[in-house]
Amino acid sequence: MKRTVGLALFALGAAFAQEPVVVGVNLELSGRLVSLGTPELEGMEAARAQLGEVLGRPIEFSVCDNASTPEGSVACANRFIDEGVVGVLGTGGSTQAIPAAEVLQEAGVIMITPSSTNPATTQVGDYIFRVAYNDEFQGEIAADYLYNDAEARRVAVFRQQDDDYSFGLAGFFEEAFVALGGEVVVVDYTGGTVDFAAQVNDVRAFNPDAFYTPGFCPELAALLPQLRQQGFADQLIMGGDGSDDAQCPDGGGEVFNGYRFTAFAEPEQLAADPEAAERAEAFRTFFEENQPDGTFNGFTLSGADAYNVLVAAIEAAGSVEPAEVQAALAELTDYPGVTGAITFAGTDGTPANRIMGFFEYQVPAETEAGWAKAQLEGLTRTFGE
Amino acid sequence: MVRSQVVKPRRVNVTPWVILFGVVALIAARVVYLLSTGTYELAFFAGALLSALQLGSLYALIALGYTLVYGIIRLINFAHGEVFMVGAFASYFLFANTPYALPWAVFTAGIASAGLMYALNLWRGKLSDPVVLVGGVVGFAGITYALSVASLGWIWAMVLSMLVTGVVGILLDRIAYRPLRGAPRISLLITAIAMSFFMQNAGLLLFTRNQTPFRPETSWTQFLQFPLAGSTVYTSRMVVLIPLVTLLLVTILTLFVSRTRLGKAMRATAQDPEVAQMMGVNVDRVIATTFFLGSVLAAAAGVLWGLNFGSLTQPAVFGLLPGLKAFAAAVIGGIGSLPGAVIGGLLLGFLENFVPALFSGVTEYKDTFAFFLLIIILLIRPSGIIGEDLSEKV
Repeated sequence: MKRTVGLALFALGAAFAQEPVVVGVNLELSGRLVSLGTPELEGMEAARAQLGEVLGRPIEFSVCDNASTPEGSVACANRFIDEGVVGVLGTGGSTQAIPAAEVLQEAGVIMITPSSTNPATTQVGDYIFRVAYNDEFQGEIAADYLYNDAEARRVAVFRQQDDDYSFGLAGFFEEAFVALGGEVVVVDYTGGTVDFAAQVNDVRAFNPDAFYTPGFCPELAALLPQLRQQGFADQLIMGGDGSDDAQCPDGGGEVFNGYRFTAFAEPEQLAADPEAAERAEAFRTFFEENQPDGTFNGFTLSGADAYNVLVAAIEAAGSVEPAEVQAALAELTDYPGVTGAITFAGTDGTPANRIMGFFEYQVPAETEAGWAKAQLEGLTRTFGE
Repeated sequence: MVRSQVVKPRRVNVTPWVILFGVVALIAARVVYLLSTGTYELAFFAGALLSALQLGSLYALIALGYTLVYGIIRLINFAHGEVFMVGAFASYFLFANTPYALPWAVFTAGIASAGLMYALNLWRGKLSDPVVLVGGVVGFAGITYALSVASLGWIWAMVLSMLVTGVVGILLDRIAYRPLRGAPRISLLITAIAMSFFMQNAGLLLFTRNQTPFRPETSWTQFLQFPLAGSTVYTSRMVVLIPLVTLLLVTILTLFVSRTRLGKAMRATAQDPEVAQMMGVNVDRVIATTFFLGSVLAAAAGVLWGLNFGSLTQPAVFGLLPGLKAFAAAVIGGIGSLPGAVIGGLLLGFLENFVPALFSGVTEYKDTFAFFLLIIILLIRPSGIIGEDLSEKV
């Protein structure tokens, strides 16, 4: 009898030891940015399928859909605090990331965003990390490209004024482009705008020779056709990583032919770091088996690495106490991620060595043929060099 | 639509005309001034005016739905923006995904022919009329055949979408509003908001979660450029199509309301539903008719909207802002009045696409103009520009 009780207790203890580690996932799984959040979740799921255990305990996701709104994101953050998760992965966009970061920092819960690029996100506090470059870098590179490679001197910037990503990136671009000696005019629109007649009229007198569109596809898919129609037929139009979204060429069609943008690098573009390129390639092979219907792009890799660094930090800390994991994350050096080596030590939570690639949409005139996303050869930039 | 039959002594009020003339003169002066600076050309203002007309016509079509329903049952139908969304997406699935498999074709044809019967009944006066019944049967067979063998052009997709959306409007009234007849008006209003949310999310589930391309094969969306005073006006052929369709539909609607038996019943119900009922008017049917008409117009607006902008935003937001602005347009024009809705819509289009061309740096605020004007109108003339005097209703 005693032995049975003892055995039962032992079994109970083993069951407790096997209690899963819960990680919160706060992503845009519906709403306007659904095609940004979905690949990130798929990346995280694939990474978890590769390595689903830490400290001998299985890892479980508590997935929360923030509906692409800041309110939804804060609600998710509060839910995670109640659930007592060790850390939160997400969000995809900066507008959703910053308010959630404030809530989580206050509560002392770790947050690792795969793709929020507004510098303000990680400046919220020491519990907030990202595995992406920031927009100061992205804006500067875009300005450099438009001024030196595309030889544009007058650029019209379309900025979504109610979005932290778009607003920030437009500002950094303007600063850098003006510093190079170019002229910039910024035109604002709000999320959900479909009629850009007034905005396009605003830039007519300025007579730009290129456009910069640091926004998201729900609006860009409407903006581009109107730009082309309103007499800006040949000017180069360039965007940021928000355009790395099938909604752009799907929604806008042929006018996206030749549209260029900077975004998270894909495996081929990681050549600057051959080992990372190899890891990314291996991950892609695994991903295509694990998530056969998934979307593989730079966001997928970023999502996977957000998960990977959190697991590595828990392993290093040997504990799931947020404070200890946070300390391990802040010390993390040269973690071999699929987006390149990740080092948080000595940064504000934005690792160096982030590689950004240049892309171009190629949309054939026939409506039947599909579009393609081409990598611009030899055009990659590394953050923090 | 709601024209009081009570003849009142006509008082000529000059103030509105003075204000109107003053505003027009100010705008003309501003245009002349900007032209004289040399930065802007006449073609620029012509282009802005054309795009204002385009947008204004679309707002007018949506606003008519608000004003019709308000005129009859004093309800601000907040789900109207979503009816507009259903119209746009229904037509998208009609031209992009046909030919359908037979079960789908039968299902869609069933709804569309119900709509067709309802449309015929507007003309014949009752649903059991032989013409209506024959039309329904022939329509059902014809639409089923057409949907299952051929790919629809956008015009047919638009017509069918109007019929289908009309039925959606009737169902909306039947399911959500009719059980609340006689309930306090606030209950109806809350139900309308709930239906709006319900339809947004149903759209996400049934239609799509993504930005949807809307590019049927048509030459109407081609770019149109013509020279004016030494420069070029950039627009598209939609600038002809949209006002034309709007004009056509508004004319039909006006004729219906003023010339047919059902139209007369609508006017009677608008004036006093209880007395109308006592006079033998089937008030529930009049209300259903009103929802049908408003939804048909909204569907037409949805199709034109998609054609004009080339893609549809995802269902949860597609109808939100256009719906709210068209509501503002209806109130500005005078809610309950048909010409008021058209004037309000055109005015909003003008405000959003022409006024930013006059003053640099106001573009970023253009989404607020509708509501700003709404506040002003509510303060100085709560019944709208040509609205009825509300006090006589109370």
